[in-house]
Amino acid sequence: MNELQDKLASYLRTKLAAPDLIVVDLARIPGGASRETYRFRARYTNRGKSVDRGLILRRDPPASLIETERSTEYRAYGAFHKLGLPVPEPIALELGNAALERPFFIMAEVENCTTGGIMSPEPYGEHRQSVGRQFYTVLGRIASADPDEIGLGDFDGAKNVRDAARHEVARWEKVIDEDEREPQPIVRAALRWLKRNPPPAAQKISVVHGDYRTGNFLVDDNGEIRAILDWEMSHLGDPLEDLAWAIDPLWAGADPARPGGMLPRAEAIRIWEEASSLKADPAALHWWEIFASLKGAAIWISAAREYDEGRNIDPINAFSGWYCLSFHNRVLAERLAAEFGA
Amino acid sequence: MKPEVGTILGLSVQKLALGITQEGAAFAQGTVGLLATVLGLAAKEYERGADIRYSENREIRELFAELAPAVGDAQLRAELVHTAAKKDPSLRISDLNSANYELRDLLTRLLIDAEEHGALPAQKRIWAVLKALAERRLVQLGP
Repeated sequence: MNELQDKLASYLRTKLAAPDLIVVDLARIPGGASRETYRFRARYTNRGKSVDRGLILRRDPPASLIETERSTEYRAYGAFHKLGLPVPEPIALELGNAALERPFFIMAEVENCTTGGIMSPEPYGEHRQSVGRQFYTVLGRIASADPDEIGLGDFDGAKNVRDAARHEVARWEKVIDEDEREPQPIVRAALRWLKRNPPPAAQKISVVHGDYRTGNFLVDDNGEIRAILDWEMSHLGDPLEDLAWAIDPLWAGADPARPGGMLPRAEAIRIWEEASSLKADPAALHWWEIFASLKGAAIWISAAREYDEGRNIDPINAFSGWYCLSFHNRVLAERLAAEFGA
Repeated sequence: MKPEVGTILGLSVQKLALGITQEGAAFAQGTVGLLATVLGLAAKEYERGADIRYSENREIRELFAELAPAVGDAQLRAELVHTAAKKDPSLRISDLNSANYELRDLLTRLLIDAEEHGALPAQKRIWAVLKALAERRLVQLGP
């Protein structure tokens, strides 16, 4: 840890033009399974004034849960921070290995906040209504942003409203093909169903956060959402993809009627529609909800493989391969069985 | 179910042996909490793992025996009849898994055949079994 602290200080002295900069209190913190996350303070002098700033380092691990474009997350932070959404300010991005052995980026720490746990029966307690309204309003604003206008028009993903669903199914089918370690009849059947029953064309192409859910944003003691995190899977696509992921039953905790432990489903959708000026067509949303559980299953299959082959023995990968995959397998089975009256 | 219990036990020991405190107290606390959860789940899986696989294999074989006569593809029908008559060689997890993977592969082929021929009653029957299998495999948190 001391070596990392020294290298980080050396890097920031140059990057921030602060020759007296020191790094203190460097500590790894949980969060973001596909990148190592560290909290630290940078102390230095800027124009004669002492600065003591909390920062976050996100560094590539030796092996990643999901391979994501390294600059994607950083650029998404930058674009939506400028737009005034609750997103941490990005500070620096390094794609080479020279400074800290692996690619990384640094952003401002949003202090004195917590994330809600997906296993918690009441992740937001008394603030659940207020947090829920903000949560779906911010998601609606992300959906309404024009990717070209905010500088993210070259992101990976679908460029055409008719391709969004097909693009995402192909993306996650490839992951399953590569990482499946045992036959998955429910997941394979879900893939076939999604291909046979495509949704209507997207209303528009938006930036899709890709992992917008309980646990991936910071809330302060007053119930105010201060930071939307973990943009590493962001891409261009149908904005309904994010809405369906946000209301997936896996994030519902103890109450399936309140996705994410926040608002009732119908209210959540209404707020999203108002904020985005888009419609959540029930048939299209139904397709994207089945897709959301399929995408989840693909991520958990990958996690299980990483763990099983010893590339990343973080126990979160074992947990994902067991609990999360079994959960999404059941959701998929229930939803698809219902299609056939079973 | 991947990873298997033996893998989880082995890699948990490895994680602990390599040391988990060098990354700092907050991260170590999170890792220990997750290890405790995963080991608790492994204990439950140790108790129910053979039963889940044995029951699943039996139900899939019964499904094959039930649906095989209506399958038009002669080769698939023969495979279904042949597989339905098999027995698990032992109650070792590895033996049960080998049989289970073969059964689940064939189940996928059976469902695809039903989809391609628009055999709705067969699809309904298969989905009822898949739903039951998923329910049985669901990993339960808590005591």
